[in-house]
Amino acid sequence: MADIVLDHVSKSFGKVRVIDDLSLTVQSGEFIVFLGPSGSGKSTLLRMIAGLETIDRGRLLIGGRECQTVAPGQRNVAMVFQNYALYPHMTVRENMVFGLRNIGMASDEIRRRVEEAARILEMDQLLDRRPSQLSGGQRQRVAIGRAIVKEPAAFLFDEPLSNLDAALRVRTRVELAELHHRIGTTMIYVTHDQTEAMTMADRIVVLNDCRIEQVGTPMEVYTAPASRFVAGFIGSPAMNFLPVEVINSDGQALATLDDGSTIGLPPDIAGRGRLDLGVRPENVGIVGEGGMTTGKVKVVEHLGDRTIVYVVLGDGTPVTAQTGGHSQVRAGEVVGLTFDVEGARLFGTDGLAQDQAAAI
Amino acid sequence: MTPQTARRANLAGGAITILTVVCAVIWAFPLYWGIVSSLKPEDEVVRPYIELWPDTLTFEHYVHALTATQIGRWYLNSIVTAVGTTVLTILTSIFCGYALSQLRFPLRRPLYWLILASFMVPTQVLIINHFVLVANMGLLNTWAGIILPQLIHPVIIIIYKQFFDQVPKEFREAAVMDNASEWRILFKVFVPMNWGVTTALSIVVFIWSWNAFLWPFLAATKTEWMTITVGITQVNDAFGIYYARELSLAVLAGLPVALAYLLFQRQVTRAITLSAGIKG
Amino acid sequence: MIRDAKKEWLIALTLIAPFAAIYGLVFVYPTIDMFLLSFTDAPLIGAGDYVGLENYTRLTSDRRFDTAVWNTAWFVVLSVIPGTFVALGIALAVSRLSGRLQTAVLALFFLPYILPVSVIYLIWDWTLNFQFGIAMHIFDALGIDRIPVFKSATWFIPAVALITVWWTCGFNVLLFLAGLRAIPQEIYEAAALDNAGRWKTFSRVTWPLLWPITALNFTIQLILQMKIFDQVYLFSQGGRPNDNLVMVYYIFQRAFQNNHGGRAAAVAVVLFFIVIVVSVLNFQLMRFAERKQ
Repeated sequence: MADIVLDHVSKSFGKVRVIDDLSLTVQSGEFIVFLGPSGSGKSTLLRMIAGLETIDRGRLLIGGRECQTVAPGQRNVAMVFQNYALYPHMTVRENMVFGLRNIGMASDEIRRRVEEAARILEMDQLLDRRPSQLSGGQRQRVAIGRAIVKEPAAFLFDEPLSNLDAALRVRTRVELAELHHRIGTTMIYVTHDQTEAMTMADRIVVLNDCRIEQVGTPMEVYTAPASRFVAGFIGSPAMNFLPVEVINSDGQALATLDDGSTIGLPPDIAGRGRLDLGVRPENVGIVGEGGMTTGKVKVVEHLGDRTIVYVVLGDGTPVTAQTGGHSQVRAGEVVGLTFDVEGARLFGTDGLAQDQAAAI
Repeated sequence: MTPQTARRANLAGGAITILTVVCAVIWAFPLYWGIVSSLKPEDEVVRPYIELWPDTLTFEHYVHALTATQIGRWYLNSIVTAVGTTVLTILTSIFCGYALSQLRFPLRRPLYWLILASFMVPTQVLIINHFVLVANMGLLNTWAGIILPQLIHPVIIIIYKQFFDQVPKEFREAAVMDNASEWRILFKVFVPMNWGVTTALSIVVFIWSWNAFLWPFLAATKTEWMTITVGITQVNDAFGIYYARELSLAVLAGLPVALAYLLFQRQVTRAITLSAGIKG
Repeated sequence: MIRDAKKEWLIALTLIAPFAAIYGLVFVYPTIDMFLLSFTDAPLIGAGDYVGLENYTRLTSDRRFDTAVWNTAWFVVLSVIPGTFVALGIALAVSRLSGRLQTAVLALFFLPYILPVSVIYLIWDWTLNFQFGIAMHIFDALGIDRIPVFKSATWFIPAVALITVWWTCGFNVLLFLAGLRAIPQEIYEAAALDNAGRWKTFSRVTWPLLWPITALNFTIQLILQMKIFDQVYLFSQGGRPNDNLVMVYYIFQRAFQNNHGGRAAAVAVVLFFIVIVVSVLNFQLMRFAERKQ
């Protein structure tokens, strides 16, 4: 177990900057998720920690040891690849043993570790099979087993669930979280799937455009997104962004929508002027009469436990609302909308949340 | 399609199938005729009419070939030189193909182009200089002398390069994370992952080498150093006009490669299409 | 990936060394040596004096060289063109079949290719034997006079070309089959839905899609058959080799039978350039055709 420190690291592919002066500390034993869209640099960052990509500038410390020039195999980290990369010509056992043999480990110790890993992952009966004889989920488990036997300081996962079907993905997600509880080793996990990030992570690192947008616990990034990007990327359906003019009036903060209606904001909210008001769909209510504004319903999606309603305001601004499972709203209706502004956020034109901007 | 036209199409299809089979049989008939003739007594062979099966089945020509000619020695020469050529060609090609595919080093591109360019050079034009070279090395009438000029098969290198290129890069990365040395990555990951290609290519290189005529013919000036492919053409003087005896030699010379083909039909056809630059 | 460039260079060097050594010894060096030799009057083994371009100028008035060039060209024409079409026909016929029948029929067509040239020689020498050959029975049945094919200057090249087609066709069949297999089945289903008949399907679907493979087949054979030697040499035994000369045979004859190393090398250089020019032309043509597609 070890903490991992990235200290002002940068990386370019040719002329293209993929990681730009990035610093991050992963605590020992933490389950940290790198979340971001494709091209955000999250996989590159993971591969830099693994040693599969070089670090152009900056330092990498694994358990206090400076590692940026150490060979991948010597960094004491283990990686689980997206396509698992199980050697097809070796049995499960041979796959797990290969890395240990390469460092000349005593066979007693190798046997102990394989048995231990097989016990943890409940795959004793798979040990003598070839990868081609395994199901997707079993292969996934073997890939993890191959990492476990190394007893590494940290596990690195590169989108390990993306090759599984939806049901299996949910189950494996739970198993992974449970595995982390049991062995308590540092884990770094790369994904573009916000659900995986929200459900498993101790902390999420949201990456966009070669930079860290925000680091925080799942609830922090959900309730207090530091930027418009984070707010839009996390949460489904995505957060609404309403262009508003925020003014002070009698010690009250008032937001005026483009259709002329006004919404009272919490008095202590930071930011005044031309801004975007971010409201999550579950904080938008649909009422028959007496809403803060009105809009026309375009599409209604019934998901059983909840209903997603797509509304367009008078000025054309789209708003998504999420209500209970038994909503009677129909497409074409004109409905009133209410906004629960308790959790609302204001974002400036630079995309930063206003309280963040104030903090800077 | 109406049922009538469908039936007509079926009939035509059946006729074409039968025609194909008949053509195939006629195509291979000379082979059959050679084998059958070698099983007839010499007087029966020269009868002025066609007999598809011997009146008297005899193995006397085979007994003669095996006891009175140097065919045993030729077999040995063929096996040693063909196996030697195959092993050396495959090994050097695996090494070179791996370096071209997986390693980054100066002059990698020029080397690749050089190998591709050498496809064009006809090795037949080099016979004089091969002969002089091998003679100067004192290797005429040796196995090494027969093998040496046969080791130029640039296409095998290119095939290996292509197959190694196709191995997803994660396998190499996984092996690197597993602390495997370059040699272990090659021998424990890349080579075993491509056993199929290696078997297929080994079989065809063996067949090519077994069938090679021009160079072994030049390199072996004494009968005891001839490969079987060369040897069986050099005995007619001694035999005069014994056709069946010659044919029995032909059968003995062709048997190993024919068997290799029939046993490994899939691998042979795959390797041959690969050698022409087509992904099988 | 973290790479140790120096270590990688060393490993690469080690991996390439065996190939490079062999390649240098039996390929690069002999090629250079061939050029040098062609400017001397050396015998096969031993040194000679520099004679400039004499070996080349002599070729212009060399009757045997003429024969060799024309025979080679004639042989190429007679083997490559029929070879391509026969192979295409066989491939089309075989590709219709399926399962064991296909495997068996393909094996029958392919088997000759796998056999050594000397076996082919012995079998056809027997089959076309003037006195006892089974083919002569067919000649008799058709009322044609028997021909001693391998003793006749007119019939020698055509006969050897025919045998070569029979021998090597299996290879071309395989390439065509690979090409046919690469045509997606949906295209045929679409053609069937459009009520295209057998001939329409072939001329409008199969043939255009098979064109690149046909070109490849053609090229490979062309370059291969220019280097013909084995069959011509074997069938000429006891016949009239001087009438049947082809390029490689002439190189062989000059060097090994007349002991003229230098003059033989000059012929080799000529063939070397012919093959390279044809290869390059072919390559450019294929690239051009590909780009047009």
